[in-house]
Amino acid sequence: MTRRVLLPVTTVLGLLLAWEATVRVLDLAPFVLPAPSRVAQAAIRSAPVLPGHVATTLSEAALGLVLGAAAGTVLALGVVLRPRAGDALEPLVLLTQTVPTVVLAPLLILWAGFGLLPKVLLVALTVFFPVFVSATSAMRSADTDLLDVVAGLGGGAREQLLVVRLPGAVAGAAAGLRVAATYTVGAAVVAEYLAGQSGLGVYIQRSRKAYAVDQVLVGVIVVALLTALLVGAVVLLERSVTPWRPRARGRIPAGAPG
Amino acid sequence: MTTFPRAERRAPSDVLLAAVDRLTVEVRGPSGPRILEDVGLTVRAGEFVAVVGPSGCGKSTLLRAVAGLLPPSLVAAEGSSVQVATDRGRRDVAWMPQRDGLLPWRRAWSNAMLGAQLAGRDVGFARTRAAELFERFGLAGCERRWPHELSGGMRRRLALVRTVLADRRLLLLDEPFSGLDALTRRRMNAWLRSVDLVGTGSRGGAVVLVTHDVDEAVLLADRVLVMAGPPGRVVECVPTDGADAEEARARLLALLGG
Repeated sequence: MTRRVLLPVTTVLGLLLAWEATVRVLDLAPFVLPAPSRVAQAAIRSAPVLPGHVATTLSEAALGLVLGAAAGTVLALGVVLRPRAGDALEPLVLLTQTVPTVVLAPLLILWAGFGLLPKVLLVALTVFFPVFVSATSAMRSADTDLLDVVAGLGGGAREQLLVVRLPGAVAGAAAGLRVAATYTVGAAVVAEYLAGQSGLGVYIQRSRKAYAVDQVLVGVIVVALLTALLVGAVVLLERSVTPWRPRARGRIPAGAPG
Repeated sequence: MTTFPRAERRAPSDVLLAAVDRLTVEVRGPSGPRILEDVGLTVRAGEFVAVVGPSGCGKSTLLRAVAGLLPPSLVAAEGSSVQVATDRGRRDVAWMPQRDGLLPWRRAWSNAMLGAQLAGRDVGFARTRAAELFERFGLAGCERRWPHELSGGMRRRLALVRTVLADRRLLLLDEPFSGLDALTRRRMNAWLRSVDLVGTGSRGGAVVLVTHDVDEAVLLADRVLVMAGPPGRVVECVPTDGADAEEARARLLALLGG
């Protein structure tokens, strides 16, 4: 336990000290690389304005996450339930992913205005794909043993879907959601770079224009913290929808002789 | 030899539950190898039939053919006939796989109820019966546990409860106790014998048990079908009911050894 806490903490502290020392020894200009102490001061200075920006970015990220996850799950269901529709849709879905969502941001702003909507849409577009992919593959690759058990007791394709494929898909979608959550805050911030009155992207952009590099770094740290927060929330959610997963590290595969 | 008194003397009726005739199963494709060749098997209500043979002789495939669960890679050749009693349009069979096939996201109780649920049995009646079976199968008190929290022997018993609760006339058990240690196996066999599966069910049933354990076969079955292969074929049918068990055992060992 001490090893798992103490070691990373020492590493981080060591790095910060080295950073501080380098800046002081080389006498680097604050608009190139400010020392950690300066960044801390900037954080205290920005404290009154930060909550507003954080609230904007967090609501964009969270709304986009919910919207994207819902769309990804529903479409995955459709593709698995109606294979014909799936054949028609899947190349399209893949094609949309060859365009990085960030590239679409100017178009979204053009169509959806400067408010919350284009940012939420951009986050949703980013989230949608990993959720869709992991939910579809979880439903398709349902354990054939379990499918056979259902069939061997007299169940048909409908029962196989309800009893085996869908519950398996929940676990799959949750895993995809965890990956997706790491992108959400970043996507929201990028959309804010382009347009907006509030949000961490706006804060970072304004600070950059003022050559306040210490504030830019404050923004970066807050973005990292928010991402960690969202991922943590998703992991908690994942645990609550899959209470049957053994909690120990290293998963026991389904059906392994216990 | 273990001596357990048989619950009662079983007399096979003339109600045919499954009739397999000249069954040949091949791997799909132009020159696919044969898995089964010209296999015949008749099961009447009131019978406990064991199928023994070395690994890879097609025992499981035979069972799957009766259950209607041949994997897509296998195909029954022309002239093969598999007739199985039906119950409301479905095969009147309940199949238990080699691995327990428990759903990891269902607690023990609702895993057990899966059989009754899929077979469309009356829920109230199934509950009463399940409670009784949990008691008799030594699972009482484990109703709320997840499958991964059960021991290997308990998982198999739970899978068996699930299979029995489907209340089908023909139980198809594919090496239900394989992979368990010798001691647990012995206890499971002694216990299975005391349960008298053939007698359970409202309309008089039958069991086909696939195993590679001669002692298990002699202990539990009325007659033992000896298979050899590949390609799988029936070598002989040895009655064990009534005849001297030791003699039957020696004969089976000779057949399998030769």
